[in-house]
Amino acid sequence: MIPYVLLQTIVVPAMASIFIFLTRHKLGRKAGWIASITLLYTTALLVIAGIKVYQGEIIYEEYPFVGPDIKFDLLADGLSLPVALIMNMLCTVLSFYSIHYVEHRIEAIYAEVDERKWRSTYTSFFYLFLGFPIGFAGVSLVTNLIAMYFFLELLPIVLYFIMAYFGYVERVRVAFMCLLWAAAGAVFFLAGTLLTYSQIGTFRISELHALVGNPWTVWIILSFLLALFPKMAIFPFQVWMPWVHAEHPTCIAGLLAVYANIAAYIIVRVLILPLRDDFKVFCIPVMIMALITMIYGSLLTMAQDDVKRFAACSTISQLAYSLLGLAALTTYSVEGGMFFFLSHIMGKTLLFSTAGILVYITGVRDMRQMGGLGSKMPVTALIWIMGSMMLSGLPPFSSFPAEWIMFTGIFIRSVQAPPIALVVAILGVCAIALTVAYTFWGMKRIFFGPLKANLSNHEIKDPPLTMSVPLLLTGVVSIILGLYPKVIMDLFHFVIGGLLPS
Amino acid sequence: MSILFAWLCIAFPLIGAPLSPVLAKIHPKLRDYGEVFLSFLSAVASVMLIPYLFYPSKLPMESAVVWLTVPIELRVGVLIDPLSIVMANVVAVISFIIMVYCLGYMKGDPSLTRFWMWMNLFIGSMLLLVLSNNLLFLFMGWKGVGLCSYGLIGFYYKDENKYWIGGPPPTSYCTPSHAGLKALVVTGVGDVLLLGGILIIFFYSRTLNLLELYETSSVWIPEMAKSPGIILLLSLLILAGPIGKSAQFPLHEWLPEAMAGPGPVSALIHAATMVKSGVYLIARFIPIFYYGYWVAGCSEASSFFILTAWIGAFTAFLAATQGMVSLELKKALAYSTVSQIGYMMLALGVAGLNSSILVEGFTSGIFHLVSHALFKACLFLCAGSVIHTAHSIYLQDMGSLKRYMPYTWIFMLIAALSLIGVPPLPGFWSKDAVLASTLEAHNYPLFLFALITVVLTSFYTIRFIGMVFHGRESENVEKLRQKGVHLGEGYRTMWVSCGILAIMIVLAGILGPRLGHFLREGFQYNLVEKLHLPVEHVKENSMHVSVPLLSVIFVIIGAVPAYLLYISHRLDPKGMLEKYPTLKVFHQFFWDRWYINSLYYRFFVDGIIKLSAFVAKSIEDPMDRFYHKKLVDGIIKLSAFVAKSIENPLDKAYHEKLPSLITKMAYNGLMRMRTETRELLYNVTYILIFFIFSLFIMLWVIK
Repeated sequence: MIPYVLLQTIVVPAMASIFIFLTRHKLGRKAGWIASITLLYTTALLVIAGIKVYQGEIIYEEYPFVGPDIKFDLLADGLSLPVALIMNMLCTVLSFYSIHYVEHRIEAIYAEVDERKWRSTYTSFFYLFLGFPIGFAGVSLVTNLIAMYFFLELLPIVLYFIMAYFGYVERVRVAFMCLLWAAAGAVFFLAGTLLTYSQIGTFRISELHALVGNPWTVWIILSFLLALFPKMAIFPFQVWMPWVHAEHPTCIAGLLAVYANIAAYIIVRVLILPLRDDFKVFCIPVMIMALITMIYGSLLTMAQDDVKRFAACSTISQLAYSLLGLAALTTYSVEGGMFFFLSHIMGKTLLFSTAGILVYITGVRDMRQMGGLGSKMPVTALIWIMGSMMLSGLPPFSSFPAEWIMFTGIFIRSVQAPPIALVVAILGVCAIALTVAYTFWGMKRIFFGPLKANLSNHEIKDPPLTMSVPLLLTGVVSIILGLYPKVIMDLFHFVIGGLLPS
Repeated sequence: MSILFAWLCIAFPLIGAPLSPVLAKIHPKLRDYGEVFLSFLSAVASVMLIPYLFYPSKLPMESAVVWLTVPIELRVGVLIDPLSIVMANVVAVISFIIMVYCLGYMKGDPSLTRFWMWMNLFIGSMLLLVLSNNLLFLFMGWKGVGLCSYGLIGFYYKDENKYWIGGPPPTSYCTPSHAGLKALVVTGVGDVLLLGGILIIFFYSRTLNLLELYETSSVWIPEMAKSPGIILLLSLLILAGPIGKSAQFPLHEWLPEAMAGPGPVSALIHAATMVKSGVYLIARFIPIFYYGYWVAGCSEASSFFILTAWIGAFTAFLAATQGMVSLELKKALAYSTVSQIGYMMLALGVAGLNSSILVEGFTSGIFHLVSHALFKACLFLCAGSVIHTAHSIYLQDMGSLKRYMPYTWIFMLIAALSLIGVPPLPGFWSKDAVLASTLEAHNYPLFLFALITVVLTSFYTIRFIGMVFHGRESENVEKLRQKGVHLGEGYRTMWVSCGILAIMIVLAGILGPRLGHFLREGFQYNLVEKLHLPVEHVKENSMHVSVPLLSVIFVIIGAVPAYLLYISHRLDPKGMLEKYPTLKVFHQFFWDRWYINSLYYRFFVDGIIKLSAFVAKSIEDPMDRFYHKKLVDGIIKLSAFVAKSIENPLDKAYHEKLPSLITKMAYNGLMRMRTETRELLYNVTYILIFFIFSLFIMLWVIK
């Protein structure tokens, strides 16, 4: 076994980031490859760790940090490992994708800069970008709330700089807006964390079960939910997401979906597993909120003409699916919800990145000015249709078994609960039809029909292989998990199955 | 060994789908023949299952592998029983014939690689649907065929005018990409509701395995019946899937537009196979609901049969009326398909309405499915050849094609006569069985609907045969002839495929009663002996004898006016409409599809678009303004208020007023504390205080 395998997943990207920063005037385009290869390495580390975990081991690494209560311990179990692995894999995919895409952004924003400035700007993207895998790995692997808070709040800071430097028209304003929303959530997260400490005297997640039955627990859960709902863009905290997705550089769009989705993992790790009984009081209200968000997000998506906002609004809807599953509080729904979360971030990475390819190649964002691109960009059309299928829960992609397992749990909860829960469950299933409608409608608007006159020039073609191949491979991973979901479900069940009743 | 054929049956086409681009890289011909060959292997594998129909005692057989162990243990695999064998053969054999036809029909198409991928993926998904041993993989196949249907309807995704369907103006056109999306969304509505139904079943039964569901129905159905309304809800949810996929009212409106796909696609998906998956699913659920109603005594379970029968009968009638006025050949056939599936639904519905006709109803529904698959596939393939030759989808652009396409005429006529129900073709036997089952259920309104539809079927079938092959040549055909366009049979693979189907129809007709009996034996053994469903034995109903007679009489009632109007032309259709205004009103009503399609567009499509615009404008924008403008403005105003109204006064208080006050007071105090003041009173007071203070000190020290 490779030593410090979990620590390496955080430290190696950090070192790579520092290296790129220090050599920023020399590296130039190589920075993208260094970042990508670093992430390939950490993905491989997580795969190795995953094999160990699948064999029943739990990997635990202990490192001293601030004091006896705040340690920098890392844990890879059946829940954290697949989450960290898939997120790291997506970071790798998008790092490769960014190699060409960032060039395009710099040309668009800083056309007049000299070579030195160009190199500095180009490399700055990648040393900032590496903050994402550090943050994601940190959030999923740490074992105490303060460390989780640290990594969780590292992400919006990275996001702020990348968006402000490489985003679109209103990038600085929206980057600031995004940071403020994150700060608002952070306040509640910190409040929840401190309240927890005040009650049990520790920040350790494994000790949170000591809160069971405590009168303050409801407030602690509420505090964490108020921190995480804005991140998940749950209605009525969704308004930041269309802005942020519209203005950020599309090469990080998939990561923004991961950033929003990681809240689902936190809900399971921090709230549902240790505090299931106390969480029950939130079960139906959260399910209703999730349902409203699912339908609201779908309707909002249909109203969009901007391909980037289109993908953003669909995220609002899709994130709520996982939440619906988690709130149902059964083994099926929580395991399915987590599986759906991973499937969704893969699908969303494909869909967002396709939107990025379209903007990169055509320079057009308005879907009304697109049409007929299927004949010119068949690979891009294929990636979009794969993304659409993944979002719509169609076989053979992983979202099909994920959605099925999740809704099985939702129905198990709903049939036993008051009738309103069954109504929520049935309407929740029906919302899938809306997803099918908007994703495939988008397909029709962009790729089908006669080719628009403004898109008939020779430069309109499929993107370079570094952009398309990683995305196609992501689709293949999703297909493998869809055809053989046993691997991931076994991993989840090691942790979730023992703590929740079936 | 035998069960291996069931696996192979699914595997061959599924291998063929991803292999298409690989073979295309080597040689296009290798791709074409390779893809057809894989469908041939699948057909052979399915035929190898037929001998088991002769030994029903060996059935059902199952083979499965572990797919999931947690949170649910799910073993997925194949199930061989009479129903799955019949369905697998219908799907695999007809699919192979259609694939052969495609060799000619699709020749030269630049997107053939994609075409073969979709076709084989479709065949594989359809076989997965009918051979799966559990509801999840059945549903996987179900979703798969829906997706392939979308891909194949929208195959000509560039939406060139020549592929549009609908019209002529003022009636609107529909592009292939729109038609594909419409099919996906409409059937998708049924799919998600079906998923809801499956999940409710799983909650009560804790299994998705079909055989286990049957075996444990005595436990979970009574448990389910304890919650009032659940079985009714389940019936509605389960039926929604078949209603969508099999294009039954109220989700029938996608099928006419689905004809935008290539001709053989219409034959394969929208006539012979996919649209039958709903019928298959209902047949799969019949033992469960039958047990619920007739054994467990759950009255709600009857709703499943009542709804199925009435939806079927009404759809049969509704679609037939639209078929009578259609001007597009493939659309007329599409309406006919919807109508004939209605018959199948009717038969399966009545199977549970009476405890004595379970086997008859079940058999007649599946028998009609088999015979319809044969003759409708033949009709669609022939229609493809006709459209290929006439270069038009419209019936009025054809006429007198019999002289140019004699083989196609014969094949299409055989299939058409079978559709009408002319003895001794299979359509006659199977429709007769459906009518007899309906009559035996003693549900006379349903029987009346079915009989009226016989008249309509006869009328519209003769109408399109007359308009295509008889009468005078249309202007379009004349023009084509003058231009020197080849007017004749299509490629050999095309008419040979049609010929094979026509021969199969004739053979099925000759063997019709025996075939029906054979199917009946198999289903009876499975339903009664294996699944122990109780069936009441009654004496042969004397009315049953009159059904064939009635059927033929009603065929003639429909055929005579159609013959006079469209073949002999003794009557003028346009003149008739002018002469009888009521007829014109009905014609318009049927032409406008009972206004259901336009209503759906107005209510659902426009409604959802408006609702989404409302959400964006009236909810999202105000929320956005609230968070990002009003809240920010509010905070800025609050900070300004804090700065102006609190900070400034405080600032003044601390930094101006308080120091000045202190300074003033200190000055005054100091001034008063000076001993050298000119105010005697202050001086005396100070002296007095000093002395009192000194006195206290002294007293405290002395003490």
